[in-house]
Amino acid sequence: MHKLMSNRITIFWLVAPGFLLFLFMVCLPIIMSGYYGTTNWTGIGAYDFVGFDNYTKILFHDAVFWRSMLNALLLLAATLLIQHPIALLFAIFVTHAGKLEKWFRAIFFIPAVISIVVTSKMWVSVFHPNFGMLNKLLEGVGLSTWKQDWLGDPQIAIWCIVVVVMWQGFGYALLLYYAGLQGIPQDLFEAAELDGAGRVKLYTRVIIPLLSPMVRVAVVIAVTACLKQMETVFLMTNGGPANTTQFIGNYLYKTAFSSSLYGYGNAISVVFVIICLIVTMAMNKAFKKDVGEF
Amino acid sequence: MGAITAKTNREAQRGNKKKAAAAPALKVILHLILWAVALLQIFPLIWLINYSFLKSGDFFGSGILKWPKSFEWNNYVNAFTYGSVPRFLLNSLMITTVTIVVAAFLALMLGYAFTRMEWKLRGPAMAFIMLGMIVPIHATLLPNFILFDKLNLIDNPLSLILPYIAFSLPISLLIISGFLETIPKSIEESAVMDGCSVFGVIFRIIMPMTKPAIATVCIMNFISWWNEFIMANTFLTSETFKTLPFSIMKFTGQYSSNYGAQFAVMTIIALPTVIIYLLFTEQMSRGITAGAVKG
Repeated sequence: MHKLMSNRITIFWLVAPGFLLFLFMVCLPIIMSGYYGTTNWTGIGAYDFVGFDNYTKILFHDAVFWRSMLNALLLLAATLLIQHPIALLFAIFVTHAGKLEKWFRAIFFIPAVISIVVTSKMWVSVFHPNFGMLNKLLEGVGLSTWKQDWLGDPQIAIWCIVVVVMWQGFGYALLLYYAGLQGIPQDLFEAAELDGAGRVKLYTRVIIPLLSPMVRVAVVIAVTACLKQMETVFLMTNGGPANTTQFIGNYLYKTAFSSSLYGYGNAISVVFVIICLIVTMAMNKAFKKDVGEF
Repeated sequence: MGAITAKTNREAQRGNKKKAAAAPALKVILHLILWAVALLQIFPLIWLINYSFLKSGDFFGSGILKWPKSFEWNNYVNAFTYGSVPRFLLNSLMITTVTIVVAAFLALMLGYAFTRMEWKLRGPAMAFIMLGMIVPIHATLLPNFILFDKLNLIDNPLSLILPYIAFSLPISLLIISGFLETIPKSIEESAVMDGCSVFGVIFRIIMPMTKPAIATVCIMNFISWWNEFIMANTFLTSETFKTLPFSIMKFTGQYSSNYGAQFAVMTIIALPTVIIYLLFTEQMSRGITAGAVKG
């Protein structure tokens, strides 16, 4: 048995196909980006080696890059301070929904499985200045002065994006907390008295503190999701107006394909990957001790 | 933590029935709140389906939802004709099917090598693939465009299938190897005694036993790649291999005023994943929580 299970040729044939594909489609591109990122290539023709110029420019002189980071932070703040508390509350509500428990959980998740092309297009039409549903709604309730060109206003557009992303990710956050609630030993629920006030106390004093490992997991996921935000922005505003809704993913794409700064776009790619790695690893390290205890 | 969640899941769900006995008034309020937010969440679906049955002229005005004067099935006919729905649907089906089948096979093989085989580098190798969960797919768009250009794969379904499979591997491997660890080794051992090879063990014994995990992996991958847009938008240039989300893009030009057909197209794009999701909610939820907790 041992001999068969440590046969190198067998191991090679099991691992090689998947591992090589991963190497070529995920790792090689990043190495290529590292290389192109040190050039001033425009995508066609000749290019010069410019060393770390692109990287220093990104980190020290690129206002749009930092605006993208700021937007990711804004989105993260909204996610953690608004979306997650509501999702947690609704996860608790769902566990008390009796027969409809599974149905509610499923319905809340539906926006996450609908194509982003469809949901983005829908929200663009909701925000449309002339025949958008939001403006019609405001007019209907007598708040005509609040009517806006929602996605065209540099001050407001980013908040529209934040709302849409929060809406789409709501079911996902809810599902995580719901799973966390399912993992809590049942006798804790039974031990406490279950009238209204007793229940609130039970949750604030016992259940939610016990959920903290899941909260940490959800925070890690939210941070990376906010950093990686691209599709919704790409389809709704493409980073505009005036880069006020820019996110890194969309910015590198636009830089390479619309502005033809292919070398610079690749440098942004590399910085993007490094930021994602650092942030994820730092958070995992910070949270590891506590998560292990659960 | 993952093991605890999995183990207590069923017990907890049984227990919930007991716990749900709240005061009637409270229960009504609770359900009202839940329905209100649920409505907000499925509103796009209702809205899409509703508008897909309206005549183009009916869109303007103040109503949010409208009862169609007559159901405009013509919108669907137009969607199929102008939106190239049949071709794009077939492309989507082909690309996602190949992706999820190959990804499940490769992940099963990797999972077996990582949980059962004995070799020195298995720890680091598995950790390396898990790094793929951190790497944003957007960071590979530019270099892969050049790579596919050099390999003459631009505008070829392989330019989507290959990265789709590669980016499916980390999460698929995580779920499958997690499941494999719960299967006792004794069955495999006796099969090996009877002269079965490792590949025989994997495909004749392990594969049938890991069906639930494989189903989870396939459904999760189906939903993410069926909806994938950015790579498809970058690597496909002509109409030949475009996927379903592009049907809607067809209406940005010449047929842009054909709103009814646009809504029909959007409904056609949205429905398959919603139906698959509703049919396999349990598997999806299990996969997502397993991936989240360990990732």
